[in-house]
Amino acid sequence: MPRPSIARAMPALCMAFFAARAVQAGPPGVANAGRAWQHWTLNCQGCHRPDGSGSAATAPPLKDNVARFLSVPGGREYLGRVPGVATSALSDADLSEVMNWMLWRFDAADMPKDFEPYTAAEVGRLRKRPLRLDAAPMRRELLQEAERRSANGPRNP
Amino acid sequence: MAQLDRLAEKALRGFANRTSRRSLFSVLGGLLAGTAALPLLPVARAEEPNQPASDPASGRQPPMSSGNPQDPGDPTQCDYWRYCAIDGSLCTCYGGTVNACPPGTEMSPITWIGTCRNPADQRNYIISYNDCCGGVLWGRCNCQRNDGDRPVVRPQNNNEVTWCFGTKSQSYTCSTAVILGVATEQK
Repeated sequence: MPRPSIARAMPALCMAFFAARAVQAGPPGVANAGRAWQHWTLNCQGCHRPDGSGSAATAPPLKDNVARFLSVPGGREYLGRVPGVATSALSDADLSEVMNWMLWRFDAADMPKDFEPYTAAEVGRLRKRPLRLDAAPMRRELLQEAERRSANGPRNP
Repeated sequence: MAQLDRLAEKALRGFANRTSRRSLFSVLGGLLAGTAALPLLPVARAEEPNQPASDPASGRQPPMSSGNPQDPGDPTQCDYWRYCAIDGSLCTCYGGTVNACPPGTEMSPITWIGTCRNPADQRNYIISYNDCCGGVLWGRCNCQRNDGDRPVVRPQNNNEVTWCFGTKSQSYTCSTAVILGVATEQK
């Protein structure tokens, strides 16, 4: 029986290494972080800016802000219905992945401990009812509610 | 005729007696050195008619090159590979470059982003068409290539929108084409 050696195991080790490198899994709900980044760059970054800071004139800021919606009733649904998300050219699966990636990437501090990642089915359902002019007032109300809750207790229970 | 032959022979023999092979080399060497030194003479050449020069009226620029074989082509021309999804005026026409705005303008942080195939390596690159804003709108060196452009109902994927948001001035001057990264085929 041939003696096992490092040299014999090298091809298998290399293959395992490159397989792991080829698809870099991200945080929960992000199967491929590179793919999520590319979808973000091509579909969202142009308006929300590379660091997610956005601008008052065009796309609202995601940085240190976007995950706050998850802590108020209706906020999770709102994120799936905003115009940029609902009318995006991405498939439901890609869209849910990029949303999960965005939440972790730009506002990890505000992520609820019990966060359940968006799924393709959920996003597909939400984007069928896109928000238009009602997006801005709804955003204001949700953020006010998030503010009230964080004033009454710890921001991230 | 025989007299002519003798005359020629005498002249040639006389010339051969008076000169040496070395003198030929010295003459040739002098010519070579002289020719090489000629362009160093202080003669104004800027006004030569065949010299490519920028023309303020049309914005025509002398050919540019990145000098990098990985980035082939001339960024002053509309057929440059990074301009595949552009719709606007080329900043190389206004004193800017393919990556930088011309003096007196401000680069918009809000952009239209697409992908273009690089002929050097046949890979797709993510290109950000940052508009430069705040200068005078000359409307020259216009370039319209609309790969991946979508109707205005999808404003985030439409390049006819003037992307001068987030800048002090909303007046459009020209567009750059900045590489953000390599786009990979996603499964």
